Amino acid sequence: MDEQFLIEKLRQGDEAAFREIVETWKNLVYNTALGILQNAEDAEDVTQEVFVQVFESIKTFKAESKLSTWLYRITVSKALDHLRRKKRKKRFAYIQSLFGAGGETIIEKPDFNHPGIALDNKERAAILFKAIDRLPENQKIAFTLHKVEGLSYQEISDVMKTSVSSVESLMHRAKNNLKKLLLDHYQNKE
Amino acid sequence: MNNKKRIQEEVEKTLESLDGIERAGSSPYLFTRIKARLEKEEKSFWSMALTFISRPSVAVPAIVLTILINTAIFFEFRSERVQTPQDEEVFASEYNLSDNTIYESTIEP
Repeated sequence: MDEQFLIEKLRQGDEAAFREIVETWKNLVYNTALGILQNAEDAEDVTQEVFVQVFESIKTFKAESKLSTWLYRITVSKALDHLRRKKRKKRFAYIQSLFGAGGETIIEKPDFNHPGIALDNKERAAILFKAIDRLPENQKIAFTLHKVEGLSYQEISDVMKTSVSSVESLMHRAKNNLKKLLLDHYQNKE
Repeated sequence: MNNKKRIQEEVEKTLESLDGIERAGSSPYLFTRIKARLEKEEKSFWSMALTFISRPSVAVPAIVLTILINTAIFFEFRSERVQTPQDEEVFASEYNLSDNTIYESTIEP
């Protein structure tokens, strides 16, 4: 079905159109969320949140950009919110543990294995994801959208509402930072 | 020197490890879960409102505020009701209550 037709149908509250939208774009949303959050359960949760928001705010969608661009934007924003909430919780649990209160036990994040990576690259990819997780937010988003979702710099600039040169700069800094982090990792391993 | 070169190579290979990555697929039950979530959100509006009102941080100040307003109104009206003898005279003259002709009139049998 045509994208514009689906949007119109969804605006009228058509459930079949909503199902079609979910089925068509669910993997795009899930894979993006998974790349940013590096946790399957969290990514599933954020994917649901994204489509709930799509359903609730489709009337405000002006169709100036593609539906996929809008979906990427919502996903990135929801995933970042999720990450911030998680960090706040972790910080609070840490403070509680300092005062001896019985807060949640702080568990070190396990290595993340993306299901779409070939077996012979799994170990290296897990190391790279760990390094990506330490990048500043903007660099992390640009790098993830480019490498995990395969978006071009132009598409990333549309999602992030910035210029292509800004994306180039973000990618350049992200690669440099990752190189430093990976060098540290391998040097410490020696 | 050899070691440094090996590390450098490993860094490059790691940076390229996401090349050719395939898109991960979400759960096949995603739509059912989203629908359940939407229905839950619709239903929960009134329960959310009730939960909000019954929160101690909302309920206690609301009760205290109600008591304060009632007390203020009570004392305000009480002070207004204290009347002087002059007020009574003014009131009586305004409504012609001082005229006792009604008691003088006699009913003929």
